[in-house]
Amino acid sequence: MIKVTDLTKAYGKNQVLKGISTHVEKGEVVALIGPSGSGKSTFLRCLNLLETPTSGTISIEGIELTNPKTDASRVRQRIGMVFQHFHLFPHMSVLDNITFAPIEVKGMTTDAARAKALELLARVGLSDKADSYPSRLSGGQKQRVAIARSLAMEPDIMLFDEPTSALDPEMVKEVLNVIRGLADSGMTMLIVTHEMKFAREAADTIYFLDQGILVERAAPDQFFNRPQSERAARFLEQVL
Amino acid sequence: MRWKKRKARHSLLFIIALLTLSIVSLMPMLPTDHASAAKKKLVMGTSPDYPPYESVDAKGSGEIVGIDIDIAKYIANHLGYELQIASMDFSGLIAALQTGRVDFVMSGMSVTEERKKSVAFSESYYTARNTIVSRKDKAYETVEQLSGKVVGAQLGSIQDTFAQTIPGAKQKKLNKIADLIQEMNAKRLDAAIVEDAVAIEMVQANPNLVLSFLPSSEEDTGYAIAFPKQTKLVDAFNLELANMKANGELQKIIDKWFEGKKTAVNGSTGGLNIDFGVLNGYVPYILKGVYVTLLFTLVSALLGLCWGTVLSLFKISGVLPLQWFATAYTSVFRGTPLLVQLTIIYYATPQLFNFDIPALLAAGLAFGLNSAAYLSETIRGGIMAVDKGQREASIALGIPYRKMMARIIFPQALRHILPALVNEFVALLKESSLVSVIGVSELMRRADVVRASTFRAFEALLFVAAIYYVLVLVLTSLARMLERRLRRSD
Repeated sequence: MIKVTDLTKAYGKNQVLKGISTHVEKGEVVALIGPSGSGKSTFLRCLNLLETPTSGTISIEGIELTNPKTDASRVRQRIGMVFQHFHLFPHMSVLDNITFAPIEVKGMTTDAARAKALELLARVGLSDKADSYPSRLSGGQKQRVAIARSLAMEPDIMLFDEPTSALDPEMVKEVLNVIRGLADSGMTMLIVTHEMKFAREAADTIYFLDQGILVERAAPDQFFNRPQSERAARFLEQVL
Repeated sequence: MRWKKRKARHSLLFIIALLTLSIVSLMPMLPTDHASAAKKKLVMGTSPDYPPYESVDAKGSGEIVGIDIDIAKYIANHLGYELQIASMDFSGLIAALQTGRVDFVMSGMSVTEERKKSVAFSESYYTARNTIVSRKDKAYETVEQLSGKVVGAQLGSIQDTFAQTIPGAKQKKLNKIADLIQEMNAKRLDAAIVEDAVAIEMVQANPNLVLSFLPSSEEDTGYAIAFPKQTKLVDAFNLELANMKANGELQKIIDKWFEGKKTAVNGSTGGLNIDFGVLNGYVPYILKGVYVTLLFTLVSALLGLCWGTVLSLFKISGVLPLQWFATAYTSVFRGTPLLVQLTIIYYATPQLFNFDIPALLAAGLAFGLNSAAYLSETIRGGIMAVDKGQREASIALGIPYRKMMARIIFPQALRHILPALVNEFVALLKESSLVSVIGVSELMRRADVVRASTFRAFEALLFVAAIYYVLVLVLTSLARMLERRLRRSD
């Protein structure tokens, strides 16, 4: 479904991604882990062109994203993204946050968008918050709304950029449960995370990145029990 | 949700409609079609704050009346022209002549060598006698007594020239007759040199003042009609003036105005000497200025906001030519005096674009363009202050640039910059008094006209100050309501 070939990204002389090639199958759940500064987030942000790759190609179901002729915003509509700091629209109610893009971008009718939003809110356990403003929500609630907002566009792929890193510890679980539920439903997902336990339980594949290189790409069992590279072994020693 | 979308679109339409409407409504406020001057129309420029020569009949028809107007009407009529009167500040008259916005000027204007360099004059039609006006408790009667005293005169007037010849006197030049009265009441002036017709009315309106006539002098050149250089009108006018002198018409007009203006005013002599009774009858005239001031403020604020927004978008566009343009624009409009911009736009537009721009439109344009320069920086700051993540979240959702700006970024930026916007609009409202230079009859201008008509210094000023204050109060409380609405989501 996603095919990445020789992806590099540099900021001036600072080479952040040094040639990453991989492919993600439909329904596959990928957890990206690695030390900070390893390029995990940059890689993820390249996938919906929030960062412009320096070289290499990315194609999604055969559509080459890195081709300048491709209409980026059309492809982006099929890729949802959840940020570390939520980025809800503070001047809109929860319901408006969720229905804005479906109505304005997809041209969905108000009633349909609203029904969809309420359904999604129920799914993330926030039915009673439809008319609240983001400032009234806890971090965990905000992140669940952000997930619902992305899902409202009915994406084929979901990207999570450290979705629980900005949360108080007691709220991590409620968000992870929502993501886990999503994984179970067969959504194709890439998740940058520091939650090793979660990665181990929920992911189909672990990507271990270090210094801009995809060092290991393995099933969780194999990665956590028998890491192939010395770098991964050292990293796991530090975090586990 | 649907009603919200519709509302947003409606408010945009509303703003555009408002802007168009205001611009259209500015159009007929001044005689604009004097391009047809060849077709028997003459435009006369005057500054109606010098009764009995010219003043606004504020209590009555609201038209400009006086000796100069009667003479002009008589001559125009005899030459077969239709007369139109354009009102503007005295300091703008010569420029209006030179740029062809008016065909001639009659405004109690005396002939000086300086003026002769830029305009042509007719024969003089009236020579006034100079008088000394001073306080009753310390009256002066002869030029000799004025030695060592502070003597005032109206800047640029023939009395000003005369005052300079008084041996040993200290000079003080002021813009308006009303200013002279004020300064004498405040005892900063010992006496003022004023021409007889004006002095008589001054003393009538201010019982604490007295006048004494000075001997008339051969050197007095008197008042004359000013024309652009190289016009054939001068000869025709001179001929008619000579006829009027011969058949007694001129004297008739002068007598009528000198006799007919005996209005007794009761005033106390002590204290600040303020009596709002003198405004009786002038209030509706002044209040009409509220509409002009508000209309002007609305146009310039809307224009400033829209254009300022576009400029701010240029500045953050990342497209170099656009950025350069917006930066240069801001630099020029912030770096030159507003009054200069206003004058250039008003006087240069007819010559450059062959469009006789009405004064209020020129004023709205100048202030709007100027305000946009300041606002573009304010708005840019507001946009930059919105969290970068808002942009990324919008992009990730596939929201197109324009919608993202209009619905996500601007509403948040607006909250940050609202106080600064209100400041700018309050400033616009009050600075609007500047536009009287090109003859827009807004509040301040009307106050000046009434001060001139009543020969009283304070009352009209205090009255319009109160009006400005109320307008600003209303504006700020509207802004506070808006702010509360925007803060709803906190």
